[in-house]
Amino acid sequence: MEPPEEPLRPVIYTMENKPIVTCAGDQTLFASVYPTLSQQLPREPMEWRRSYGRAPKMIHLESNFVQFKEELLPKEGNKALLTFPFLHIYWTECCDTEVYKATLKDDITKWQNVLKAHSSVDWLIVVVESDAKKKNKTNILPRTSIVDKIRNDFCNKQSDRCVVLCDPLKDSSRTQESWNAFLTKLRTLLLMSFTKNLGKFEDDMRTLREKRTEPGWSFCDYFMVQEELAFVFEMLQQFEDALVQYDELDALFSQYVVNFGAGDGANWLTFFCQSVKSWNGLILRKPIDMEKRELIQSQEATLLDLRSYLFSRQCTLLIFLQRPWEVSQRALELLHNCVQELKLLEVSVPPGALDCWVFLSCLEVLQRIEGCCDRAQIDSNISHTVGLWSYATEKLKSLGYLCGLVSENGPNSEDLNRTVDLLAGLGAERPETAKTAQSPYKKLKEALSSVEAFEKHYLDLSHATIEMYTSIGRIRSAKLVGKDLAEFYMRKKSPQKAEVYLQNALKNYVAEGWALPITHTRKQLAECQKHLGQIENYLQTSSLLASDSHLTEDERKHFCQEILNFANQQKESPGLKVILSMHSFAQLKHLHFDPSNALVHVGGTLSIEITLLSQMPVSVQVEQIAISVHFSIEKNSYRKTAEWLTKHKTSNGIISFPNENSSVPFSRSNSPALELYEMYERSPSDNSLNTTGIICKNVHMLLRRQESSSSLEIPSGVTLEDGAHILKCSNVTLDPGVNKIIFKTQAKEPGTYTLRQMCTSVGQVQFVLPHIYPIVQYDVYSQDPQLKVEPLTDSLLAGIPQKVKFTVTTGYYTIKNGDSLQLSNADAMLILFHAENRAIIYSNTREKSSEASLMIQSSEKVTSVSLPMAPAYHMIEFELEVLSLPSAPTTSGESDKLGNKDPHRKNKEKQKAGNCMVTLDQKVSIDCPWSIYSTIIALTFNIPFKATHSLLSAGKRKYIQVCVQNLSELGFQLSDSNLIDTGNSPELQLVPLNAKCQQHIYSKQSVFFVWELMWTKELPPSMHCHFSLDFYPASEDRSISLKPYSYEFQVENFFTLYNVKAEIFPPLGTEYCKTGSLCSLEVSITRLSDLLEVDKDEALTESDDYCTTKLMYEVVDNSSNWAVCGKSSGVISMPVTARATHKVHMEVMPLFAGYLPFPDVRLFKYLPHHSAHSTQLDADSWIENDNLSVDKNMDDQTDNSSLKSKSSSHSAASMEHKGLPMPRLQPFPSGQVFNSSTGMQILVIPSKDDHILEVSVT
Amino acid sequence: MADEALFLLLHNEMVTGVYKSADQGEVENGRCITKLENMGFRVGQGLIERFTKDTARFKDELDIMKFICKDFWTTVFKKQIDNLRTNHQGIYVLQDNKFRLLTQMSAGKQYLDHAPKYLAFTCGLIRGGLSNLGIKSIVTAEVSAMPACKFQVMIQKM
Amino acid sequence: MAVCIAVIAKENYPLYIRSIPAEHELKFHYTVHTSLDVVDEKVSAMGKALVDQRELYLGLLYPTEDYKVYGYVTNSKVKFVMVVDSSNTALRDNEIRSMFRKLHNSYTDVMCNPFYNPGDRIHSRAFDNMVTSMMVQVC
Repeated sequence: MEPPEEPLRPVIYTMENKPIVTCAGDQTLFASVYPTLSQQLPREPMEWRRSYGRAPKMIHLESNFVQFKEELLPKEGNKALLTFPFLHIYWTECCDTEVYKATLKDDITKWQNVLKAHSSVDWLIVVVESDAKKKNKTNILPRTSIVDKIRNDFCNKQSDRCVVLCDPLKDSSRTQESWNAFLTKLRTLLLMSFTKNLGKFEDDMRTLREKRTEPGWSFCDYFMVQEELAFVFEMLQQFEDALVQYDELDALFSQYVVNFGAGDGANWLTFFCQSVKSWNGLILRKPIDMEKRELIQSQEATLLDLRSYLFSRQCTLLIFLQRPWEVSQRALELLHNCVQELKLLEVSVPPGALDCWVFLSCLEVLQRIEGCCDRAQIDSNISHTVGLWSYATEKLKSLGYLCGLVSENGPNSEDLNRTVDLLAGLGAERPETAKTAQSPYKKLKEALSSVEAFEKHYLDLSHATIEMYTSIGRIRSAKLVGKDLAEFYMRKKSPQKAEVYLQNALKNYVAEGWALPITHTRKQLAECQKHLGQIENYLQTSSLLASDSHLTEDERKHFCQEILNFANQQKESPGLKVILSMHSFAQLKHLHFDPSNALVHVGGTLSIEITLLSQMPVSVQVEQIAISVHFSIEKNSYRKTAEWLTKHKTSNGIISFPNENSSVPFSRSNSPALELYEMYERSPSDNSLNTTGIICKNVHMLLRRQESSSSLEIPSGVTLEDGAHILKCSNVTLDPGVNKIIFKTQAKEPGTYTLRQMCTSVGQVQFVLPHIYPIVQYDVYSQDPQLKVEPLTDSLLAGIPQKVKFTVTTGYYTIKNGDSLQLSNADAMLILFHAENRAIIYSNTREKSSEASLMIQSSEKVTSVSLPMAPAYHMIEFELEVLSLPSAPTTSGESDKLGNKDPHRKNKEKQKAGNCMVTLDQKVSIDCPWSIYSTIIALTFNIPFKATHSLLSAGKRKYIQVCVQNLSELGFQLSDSNLIDTGNSPELQLVPLNAKCQQHIYSKQSVFFVWELMWTKELPPSMHCHFSLDFYPASEDRSISLKPYSYEFQVENFFTLYNVKAEIFPPLGTEYCKTGSLCSLEVSITRLSDLLEVDKDEALTESDDYCTTKLMYEVVDNSSNWAVCGKSSGVISMPVTARATHKVHMEVMPLFAGYLPFPDVRLFKYLPHHSAHSTQLDADSWIENDNLSVDKNMDDQTDNSSLKSKSSSHSAASMEHKGLPMPRLQPFPSGQVFNSSTGMQILVIPSKDDHILEVSVT
Repeated sequence: MADEALFLLLHNEMVTGVYKSADQGEVENGRCITKLENMGFRVGQGLIERFTKDTARFKDELDIMKFICKDFWTTVFKKQIDNLRTNHQGIYVLQDNKFRLLTQMSAGKQYLDHAPKYLAFTCGLIRGGLSNLGIKSIVTAEVSAMPACKFQVMIQKM
Repeated sequence: MAVCIAVIAKENYPLYIRSIPAEHELKFHYTVHTSLDVVDEKVSAMGKALVDQRELYLGLLYPTEDYKVYGYVTNSKVKFVMVVDSSNTALRDNEIRSMFRKLHNSYTDVMCNPFYNPGDRIHSRAFDNMVTSMMVQVC
């Protein structure tokens, strides 16, 4: 008989709980169907639609069938839900109306009444039918009748409250159907009941919660009620819903605590404020901790009790829901939270109690979780559990400290007492963990039992935690735990174990630049190293600490003193030198060279001033500061020269050093800067731009992966390299902050000196700056003395005084008293000197050092300039005035030669460079005191003037014109123009036609001078002239008498042989010439002299004493005013006798109206062909002359016809050069032919019919 | 950018300014470019800080590049990058077919030789933006027919 | 409300860190520094998340007995860490979030300040005041 007879105790065996269903009526019948029923019911899930808009759920129903008893029905206000019967079933298999009437009806009615009385409406009547029964019944009614009766009698309008179950024990399809129908019905009704009753329950619960502000309200009562609901959900396997209930309770409670903190405390809360007496952590091993539950029920629970219970329930449910990680996370929150709440509620807690509680709880949770998942899961979820681990570690640590288990000489009596009290608080171990070896309880007890045990457990935990942190990459956290461990070791006086942890932590903080942790950890490290007796490291750390601004003044002084003590104590017993890196001791800020360009000559002194920022809190007496210098011979000699010195202007000689500020580790500049350039890409074909852009030259540098800079660690292994050259500075006191130290050095060998490292020695301690960066160099140079002479103006002018600057660079040579420059006078260049000649002396860095007046003596051969005394590597500058004579004066002896040359040179000049000035070089050799060889200095002077001459004729009268052109930039005053015939033949005479007064000639202008040439007897074929002209710059008054400007030239066969005269006559009968009408041109050529020397050439033909020469005339009209009709040129033979005249007539036609200049008539010598050779010869000669004459022509009249003729004759010449003999033309020297009709004009009047003429001409 | 025109004009002045100042002093190739680029860098850093203030966290490098091409470009140049290409090895090419800072100058090849100085600032802008988003990079530029231009971003893997 | 506020650079060195009361400074430095572990963890986890979950606020980094540590990471990988007294239960997530927003805005201004160059410690008084306001508020 399954259903238990005795009334159920309201005990909860949670999981085995099922909703209760009562059974009335035929018990045996029920018993027979029960097995099938109980195993069929849960088979199919049923959808549960729920109130309060909660999502419907599929749920498998089970239930606990008990015999119907009136006591089972809940009284009013009974909140027990687990014992609540959700459905009442009445069983019968009656099929006989009599029986029905007689007994069954009443029975059912009674049953119904009872239910009504308890206002429970969830009932069902089951009529079981079996054919078997029918057999042995006589008066058989239709099966249905009983059912119908029951329906009529009881189920008014809800006919579905009565169901039929056919042959439940057969297995026929019919049976099956009826079973299914029945089960479905049953389930539906059950669910309906749940919905209804739970709904009702929740409503009541809510109303109860609303009452919470009322005085009598108790949280514990409410807790029980809501938990009831939770239980039911759990019973129905609705763990989510169950959890929700607990979470609500949790939240509600927390809220109360908060409010309490805020001031308004509910009086029930005071229960929870009882001081904590037991702290035996969480218990999560059984689904329900009954003891605690009862405590709550009886309102005796402490806060910890309540929390523990609540959490254990939540934990259970979460684990049902397979959310262990949420457990661990919630656990951590809970633990923290409890600690807070106890604080908030000012609950008195014995010291250490909480630590115990937390420690136990952590381990309990961890073990519970480990209990329900496998290694793999755990390992992959360390991040969830590690928090608990470290918390536990932390707590154990503090317990250790509390109970004096960390001191090296064990716990004292009061420690022990405390321990005992703590253990007492744990109570006895719980049965459920009693068996497990590693239970939290055991652990804790053991850990607190002895120093060794504690150490073991603490180390285990720490290592485990560190390992876990590391495994999930929480390095920083790991380091922190490590530090605690280190502290522990230090307490245990085993620094060697501590060191590594401290170092690691420190490394990490330094790498990430966390100042305070760095300082703190360093302090610990220092202590550690001190214990370990690592002198060097300790001192290094101390120096870092002494310079640490995050420490108090006293602390810093202390560490500084540590160093100094060591340094001094070592002094007595000289032992090893300790070498430390400098950057913590003092920082090199600036370095300042004097001279500022860091360049000195051999033997010069260089001073280097360094600015040291001392980091020490007190002034430190330093024996010596030394800078080791590396010397390298300068390869490119240029750097050593004086010019370099002037160009090489370093930034005012101050080099600043970046301050290695360790607090910011990533000075973003640790990667090289981009080198960007503009890019222009031209197309190969035509190099036109086809792309431009920006490119980066040092990509390869930048794209290199750079490992995070660990450079900031204390530079280990700083070694002092001893360079040959060392700059020293002894007995310095470094005050805190800025110090300036000056090193002086005497430059020795020329070359480049690089400052490598700096070393400060305090006693036996040396602070070394391993390399000085940025690179600091100074240069030593030696220099040869030298003299430089350069004009002040960009070009020197000849003929007038010019300033020339002398620069003596003394170099290594020291100018003694009496040293002088010996200038050998060049005859054409004078050195003029005045009293007030002064020399200025500069140092090589061009600072003016002194000034002295200059002694200059001059003999006819040499001028000696006595130099003022000057030290080596200085410069003496002075100016002298020199005067170069315009053109070399000529001794009249070789006049001819010179004369011939003269014009030629001029011509060359002319052709060469248009009208730029003629230059002449003056060489001066100077003897310098420092050298046995004399220096040759060449000065180039420009002659300011250019002179040209020309011969003019008027009939037989002759004139000579000289044109002086001023090519210079200045203006001059001209005077005393003078022209003489150097051949001074008495019968010749030059009559000046010039203004006597002096004239001004402006820059780039010309002045003309004219003389008439008179003669009495016959003229010489050539004549040699000398032109001279006084001049002086218009600016100054003529103080110094200057040599006049002179110009020599020669004129040849200037006697007029022929006179050419052209006349044009209008056509007969007309008064004027008319355009288009022919006029007659008469050219008359008259011989003016008898036979002369000049005529003696191959054109001359002599027959007895009558000789003729051949002439060719030519009429050209370049202005093309005239059309020359018929032959325009011809050859005539001219008798060589005075007044012989030859007339030629030809026809010309004016093409335009107006005053037309006459066509030009030219006359040439006509030389018949002789021998190729001779012609060759002549050709050359006359080409020369022709050239010459052409030039003259050009100067004289600006008619380029002559050029034309020349070119023509040239062509002629060139043709016969090819060999075929032909006569040649030779123009007359301009003097020999006078054209009396040059410049004449004649009036031409336009004709009526121009246009016809046009035709006729063309 | 408050007003586009203002930015453009300001930018032009900046370029000319920088180049003038260089004329006085030493002027080796690239000095001004670098100067401009550095200006851009700083500006980029500031801008990105503002622009990304309210955006969701970026998923990855590409996500960031997209942001630069879309939002960043739009806010600065009032248009998006027209085409973004990458080799998925940390090289990105951003092509702008009508680059704001070149449009006023000319189309085609005239002034092509001046183009670089008008790109430097923007190169910096990009580099600065990226670096502030934690991406070290090198940005170069290329123009063959104005006003179209390409910016190449080389990401420095770290 | 907040007892410690820190701004931490990309490279994990502090740009700004301020805490009250002063005597706990060191402890806070350690706390904040360790919290970076969780920041890294969360950020890397966040990368995979969907856009809408990729917000800059990281939420509670980790609770300790006496403090709650919250985190926030800007797109420029600058981290904000805020430590709040656990007893201060009044603070809800949203308030923390909005505090971070304020912090971020203020930081952005710092970044755009010509006298600040990125990566240096923050000395801006404006920023300082803003932080102070967040620290004194309530409590």
